[in-house]
Amino acid sequence: MNRIGDSPDFVPSDPLTDHEYDGIREFDNPTPGWWYAFFGATVVFSFCYLLLFHFSVAGWTSEDTWADDQRAEFKRVFGAVGQLKPDDDTIRAQMDNPQFMTIAKATFLGNCTACHGRDGGGLVGVNLCDDNYKNVKHISDIYKVITEGANGGAMPSWKRAFSDNERVILASYVASLRGTKPSAGKGPEGDPIAPWPAAKPK
Amino acid sequence: MAEHAVQVNPALELPEHASRTRHGVLLEEYSYDDAIVRKFLLVTVVWGLVAFLVGLLAALQLVVPSVIAYTTASGARPFAFLSILSSVEFLTFGRLRPLHTNAAIFAFAGNAIFAAIYYSTQRLCKTRMWSDTLSNLHFWGWQLIILSAALTLPLGITQGKEYAELEWPIDLLIAVVWLGFFGTNFFMTLKVRRERHMYVALWFYIATIVTVTMLHVVNSLAIPAGLFKSYSVYAGVQDAMIQWWYGHNAVAFFLTTPFLGLMYYFMPKAAERPVYSYRLSIVHFWSLVFIYIWAGPHHLHYTALPAWASTLGMLFSVMLWMPSWGGGINGLLTLRGAWHKLSDDPVLKFFVVGITFYMMSTFEGPMLSVKSVNMLSHYTDWTIAHVHGGTLGWNGFMTFGMIYWMAPRLFQTKLYSKKLAEWHFWVGTLGILLYVIPIYVAGITQGLMWRAFDQNGTLAYPEFIETVTKLMPFYWIRVVGGTLFFVGAIMLGYNVLRTWMSRPAVYEVPVLRTPPIQPLEVRRPVFHSRLHANTEFGHAGDVFIQNVQNAWWHRVLEAFPLRFVFWAIVAVAIGSLLELIPMFAIRSNVPTIASVQPYTPLELAGRDIYVAEGCYNCHSQMIRPIWAETKRYGEYSKPGEFVYDHPFQWGSRRIGPDLAREGGIRSNLWHVLHLQDPRQASPQSIMPAYPHLLSQNINFDEIQTHVRAQAMIGVPYGEAVKDGRSQELARAQALSISQDIAKSEGPKDLDNKKIVALVAYLQRLGTDIAKPAPDATGAPTQPAQSQDSKGGAKPNLSRKD
Repeated sequence: MNRIGDSPDFVPSDPLTDHEYDGIREFDNPTPGWWYAFFGATVVFSFCYLLLFHFSVAGWTSEDTWADDQRAEFKRVFGAVGQLKPDDDTIRAQMDNPQFMTIAKATFLGNCTACHGRDGGGLVGVNLCDDNYKNVKHISDIYKVITEGANGGAMPSWKRAFSDNERVILASYVASLRGTKPSAGKGPEGDPIAPWPAAKPK
Repeated sequence: MAEHAVQVNPALELPEHASRTRHGVLLEEYSYDDAIVRKFLLVTVVWGLVAFLVGLLAALQLVVPSVIAYTTASGARPFAFLSILSSVEFLTFGRLRPLHTNAAIFAFAGNAIFAAIYYSTQRLCKTRMWSDTLSNLHFWGWQLIILSAALTLPLGITQGKEYAELEWPIDLLIAVVWLGFFGTNFFMTLKVRRERHMYVALWFYIATIVTVTMLHVVNSLAIPAGLFKSYSVYAGVQDAMIQWWYGHNAVAFFLTTPFLGLMYYFMPKAAERPVYSYRLSIVHFWSLVFIYIWAGPHHLHYTALPAWASTLGMLFSVMLWMPSWGGGINGLLTLRGAWHKLSDDPVLKFFVVGITFYMMSTFEGPMLSVKSVNMLSHYTDWTIAHVHGGTLGWNGFMTFGMIYWMAPRLFQTKLYSKKLAEWHFWVGTLGILLYVIPIYVAGITQGLMWRAFDQNGTLAYPEFIETVTKLMPFYWIRVVGGTLFFVGAIMLGYNVLRTWMSRPAVYEVPVLRTPPIQPLEVRRPVFHSRLHANTEFGHAGDVFIQNVQNAWWHRVLEAFPLRFVFWAIVAVAIGSLLELIPMFAIRSNVPTIASVQPYTPLELAGRDIYVAEGCYNCHSQMIRPIWAETKRYGEYSKPGEFVYDHPFQWGSRRIGPDLAREGGIRSNLWHVLHLQDPRQASPQSIMPAYPHLLSQNINFDEIQTHVRAQAMIGVPYGEAVKDGRSQELARAQALSISQDIAKSEGPKDLDNKKIVALVAYLQRLGTDIAKPAPDATGAPTQPAQSQDSKGGAKPNLSRKD
């Protein structure tokens, strides 16, 4: 084997082919054995993969995996409470469930921030922190607005985007914004309404 | 054989340009056309500088919005002037990025491979190029193509398919120049060659020319709708499949095979050593061209592409690892006994680092194509880092090494400064590292952030913008790396310029004398079984193996270009046909959804704007069935949703969020304000501003033409194809949207402005699946899938198991 520092004249003594093209010669070395070994291994892997994941009981599709994830996730989050009713009491009660409020906050940040601002102060959409509301009289109306949309579609319907339960706790989260101090609040729109009812003792 | 028409017959008169040796052997006189190589070499340098500069601009565009927003304590915004970078209509990222990729691939790398092919083919065939006229038509035709690209892409004239953006008249020109001028000239040169056998570099050139022709023609099929507009004849899933069959093999047959050919010529020349293994070059050439063509669908893992295609794409990519490395090891091992030369030869330095990057990229490629890895890497900067390792490292450095080797020979003088070339090498290497390392980090960071959940099972980073601002430090390091690479290229330009300036007044054109092509001399060797006691079958098998290993049969094939071309076509056609035919023939690949309807004329106009602005360069329209992804964007995309998407717009990178379910989730006014200046809606956004959409008028007359073109490729537009009907429909929809915007106290009188069309399109995205199927009109209907929670089937909450 030759290394850096070998004689500048060094040419490996492997057998040459009899080819010469514009001064370029070629050795007659065989393809390295490890090349065949690795190539063969990738071919064998591919056959096994194909058989295993498309023609055996271990077969899977990304759609199935997704559906499994979904079932597991809903069971984990809402398994204990079952279906939440979209009524005043239920929505009011969830405001005191810190786990649900964290979940709903993430939903809010990912989907509502664009129009209502990160802290609900309002951008294109209304300020959710003050006491004035356009389409809400009772706390359950928030759920209705989220579900059906309002203002001729300016506030879109989120019925397809989130499950019933997700919309219930999102309504609770939006209700909980009332009375907080946004960094830049938009002026009041709509009419002032009565405070939310006090939470019922469990 | 026509190839040796000139017979050795001393009795006959000498043909023109011929002489004889003392022994009476006929010698033909010829000289090489190096003028054409000089031309290609010079434009390679020039277009390289342009491509790198545009890339640097694009890199800056992604970071400057974060600086512009910087406000001092006194309220001043000292960097506000930088907004010029992202607010000029013609230079927004969506238009500049295609310019960058086209310039890098087709102008820089393209001219480099032409220089390599014109230089080496003549010498390997011992003949001048067949036709100087075709050589020059090729040269000027190609520069014309590049110029048209440089003019049309900033104007938003594009087909909206990655690396195939150029509009149909330019596509036609490409086909003529590539096959009509370049291909014809090349193959005719093979025909008139004086060397019986074709060297391995020529095999790679052959594969390049035939395959690129096939890819370009098939992928670019489109129906024109005016001189500067056309629609791909393919739609949705099938268009995606064709596009990435093309896109991946543009990498294979434009950026890999010609560069391997280049390597096989210039590496042994520069190292002054024989090529490591002839037999390895046979095995890796054929395995490479046969396997590469299958790998395209790995760009579409987890999308609406059928699973079988995705699996084929992955497995053939994995199997491609060794065929790719065959070229790398053959190149590096050619340096055996010559490694000491690296210390004072910049050419070999460039080649060694170039090949090293090739081997890293071709290991990384198969790895990224494994579905579970791709799940993380897809749509992130990981892909960007991967391709830049390939283009800057492999294509860039192989080209630079070749230029430094050729320049003194072509300009018949000494290289102006070897020291400057050494500097170029080190500055360029540092530049590549400072580019790819932070971008790898950025890609993996963003991929992990997108899928991160907190302990409550909600997205840890629900706001997309968080995953963008996080990347800014890495993007800044990329700008530094890109600058270094660009500075290195300036050193190259200066070095070549000074070398050129010291050229002789008249170039010497040596006249060469060679005997005409000789008859085939390969004899089939006779092998005997090496086995002792065995069956007849065993002995036959051993003889067969020895025959295969001896490679005499390939030696024969090398002597006949036409046969070689035939087998090369067979090699690339098998994978293409086996993947593409089922994709079109089997209906179940794209289950129809009855509620999915064509875009309205106005929405189609909006889609044209979406394509023209290059929105697909930053936004995907493809939600994968991955929990974190449906949580963020909504129900995953179904194949049937894209049947009217000519071309598909799934995108390949999410610099901004996915838009597949954008329709209906924000108000019209929000979209107007956001497009006018994204910072109005999202203060940290790095998206360009599109104020021109609020001032430019919709060309309503065009809409009718566009609708008709769509109808011609099978979109059921019904009565909208009637004269003027599309216009009426478009105007009515535009009016109602503009009234809604005005009612929400937004800008007034937008009813004939482009923005309204774009908003109409955005509000339509991904909404059809939720609509009821239209009344049966004879067509088979399948109810819209009744799913109403994020992602798909309604979760069964009452399940207590």
